[in-house]
Amino acid sequence: MLILIARRLVGAIFALWGIATLVFVLLRVLPGDPARTILAASGASETAITQARQQMGLDEALPIQYSRYLWNLARGDLGRSLFSNRPVLLTLAEQLPSTFELAVAALTITIVLGLGLGVLAALYVGSWVDRVTVGIAVLGVSTPLFWSGLLLIWLFSLALRWLPASGAGSWRHLIMPATLLGFVGAAPLARLIRSNLLTALQADYITVARSKGLPEALVLLRHALRNALLPSLNLIGLQAGFLLGGAVVTETVFARPGLGRVVVDAILWKDLPVVQGAVLLVASTYVVINLGVDLIAMVLDPRQRES
Amino acid sequence: MIPLRVIWKLILLALLTLVVGVAGHVDGGYLTTAYALLVQHEATLFYGLTLSPSGIDPHVNASSELGIPLRSVYDTLVYRTGRSPEEVQQFVPGLAESWEVSQDGLVYTFHLRRGVKFHDGSPFNAAAVKVNLERIVDPAIKSQKAAFLLGPFRSVEVRDEYTVAIHLSAPYAPLLDSLSQVYLGMAAPQSLARWGVDYQFHQVGTGPFRFEEYMPNDYLTIVRNDAYAWGPRIYAHQGPAHLERVVFRFFTDPAGRAIALQAGDVHVMGEIPPTDAKRLQQDERFAIIPVPIPGQSLGLILNTQRPPLDDVRVRRALLFATNREEIVQAIFGGFSPAATGPLTSATFGYVEMPATLVRFDPTEAVRLLEEAGYVDIDGDGVRERAGQPLLLDAVLMTWGSLPEVAQLLQSQWKVVGVQLQLRTLTYPAALEVARTGDYHLIPQNYAGSDPDLLHTYYHSTSAFNWSRVSDAVLDDLLERARQVSDPAVRAKLYAQAQERIMELVLLIPIRDPVNLNGVSARVQGLRFDAQGWFPILHDVQLQ
Repeated sequence: MLILIARRLVGAIFALWGIATLVFVLLRVLPGDPARTILAASGASETAITQARQQMGLDEALPIQYSRYLWNLARGDLGRSLFSNRPVLLTLAEQLPSTFELAVAALTITIVLGLGLGVLAALYVGSWVDRVTVGIAVLGVSTPLFWSGLLLIWLFSLALRWLPASGAGSWRHLIMPATLLGFVGAAPLARLIRSNLLTALQADYITVARSKGLPEALVLLRHALRNALLPSLNLIGLQAGFLLGGAVVTETVFARPGLGRVVVDAILWKDLPVVQGAVLLVASTYVVINLGVDLIAMVLDPRQRES
Repeated sequence: MIPLRVIWKLILLALLTLVVGVAGHVDGGYLTTAYALLVQHEATLFYGLTLSPSGIDPHVNASSELGIPLRSVYDTLVYRTGRSPEEVQQFVPGLAESWEVSQDGLVYTFHLRRGVKFHDGSPFNAAAVKVNLERIVDPAIKSQKAAFLLGPFRSVEVRDEYTVAIHLSAPYAPLLDSLSQVYLGMAAPQSLARWGVDYQFHQVGTGPFRFEEYMPNDYLTIVRNDAYAWGPRIYAHQGPAHLERVVFRFFTDPAGRAIALQAGDVHVMGEIPPTDAKRLQQDERFAIIPVPIPGQSLGLILNTQRPPLDDVRVRRALLFATNREEIVQAIFGGFSPAATGPLTSATFGYVEMPATLVRFDPTEAVRLLEEAGYVDIDGDGVRERAGQPLLLDAVLMTWGSLPEVAQLLQSQWKVVGVQLQLRTLTYPAALEVARTGDYHLIPQNYAGSDPDLLHTYYHSTSAFNWSRVSDAVLDDLLERARQVSDPAVRAKLYAQAQERIMELVLLIPIRDPVNLNGVSARVQGLRFDAQGWFPILHDVQLQ
């Protein structure tokens, strides 16, 4: 198993290198000159813009820029933001707690809600509970966040005045954005669990368990659900990555600080070092989470341990 | 298994709670949460900004948003009075009690106020001014705006402890305006040296509020400077500010701004969308303070080098085919005056263009197009000349409601047989297109209290001459206006420059930008300075 983990880690480093290269190239293909963007409102002369570009090291040949970028990366130096002149690492790190808090809360809701609805729908298959659950799942997938977010704010902040409409810092601020984001993830999870559980419940070992006279709850929890959960693990892993990188809309609607907003702003303004750093950060998170998911799967599923 | 009817009952119960809750609170209009209690705290003002600026050191960074909190942290050598066009805009003492300009316009001597202290306790004096100006022009800090505001700055000289002289290499009339802006605010040399690159998180000025804490994307707080006793005349009262603390928060989503204000999360919110502003006007708990922003009007600059816009008749036809009033009503809810030229009516030197130059006149537009040889031969609704259809390419950005404006233009110009294609790009990409000249129309929308920004956008040698005009008359006017120090003479020169720009039809003006501030009725005495964007928080009270 240790060899397996080592092999995966080496693979992960290569994956990150590939991603770093890809971002580097993509950002340079995108039209736009950061020096010109920064100085656009100032009435700078063409000479001043050229000077600024030199200062940023953007006038050098791409291979030189690329090797310097990789060398700095290897030393753990992500560079400085072109706009704020602050270290990228710091810029991202200070946004991380808020994003992390939201992601963890949303993921918890995703799992609880997805599991609950999925099991409920499978148990009462064909009944109105099943139909409502599937309905909720479809709703969760197809409702745009910026719209449902505003609706939630209208209801709970304006009409009921139960929760603050914006910001971060307390659990009360977390309720709406986490529920919203968790709900979106819960929808596909519920549908996956429902179909897997239905398949599992048809299996022979369930019939055996039932005929042994095991209580229904035990049949469900120990036998059926354990098998039905395995395929869902990967989905949860993917969701976790999505939550880190994809909370942008939620952060914007609820005026929360977070990684997503930093990344979007940086892309729109072509703040190259910040985009590069953020993409790497999200990518590493994906890699780590997927590694974790694989390890959990090995623990849960003896078959995976052997292969 | 739990029976279905139990689940059903649980859901019903939850729904009922919700309904009762809504019914009981919807008209209450009072705040009940702990958070709301914090908002209600007597002397803390919550202020909604529209974006979290990337970098907030006024000497280094350029955004307008940074000035909204920091205008109250820094004092400037001079202040600009007045904002409305009727008022004669002039300069009043700030940290400088008086000043003289040499005959040749190359030396500005400032006599500084005594007894002023920075928030870190160090004294304000001529040496501090020197440190500040030299920091700003130091290439190492990569100033994005402040250094350019200083124009042909050459050096700064300390004459004695309270006298300082700025030397220029050429006369530069906008200098006083520049020195009145927060970007040239006076920071404490001691703190600048202490914090270095991290200074933006520890800013120290002499203003009515001290910088407390900044968490990007989350909040920025400033607290009252109890020692403040040197407010400029534009402040309504002397002594320390009324408010104890101001908390700024960031609301990038326009749709959420009015809601945050209504929910009590903030007392003041900038840039409320016009439809929400209309709604808030009906609500007695709120008020809308519309503030006209000096600088460029929102408009589309025409590329005069690219056919068919190299023909002034075609450019004028587009101008006459544009129903600005309709656009202003439909998109900006009537809150903005329709613009007639390159500057907004809140800008020093603004003149309204005569109807001979700017009007809505589709008949004349058609006549001009036909005179220029454009006729719709194939009957497809688009005019052509020598087989070339009258097809124009507009580059847009997502802000300023530009896509909506351009869509209306599209339909207005279609009536006279002009086809407009729209391309929405990110800002850096649009700037790149602007550099290459691969466009017919491109937006202008920069704020600034001095009309010298016309030099940036319409002088033939400028890097931002997007109309690609090269007109000796216009160049001469803009150069002279930059050098003459007599405000009356300057105003006259700028009047001529604006007329020249519209004679040549270098842009399609649309509207004067107006910042619609949503304000809780509890906020008293909120005014904005001559820049338009920046609130004078010193005089604000919460009731």
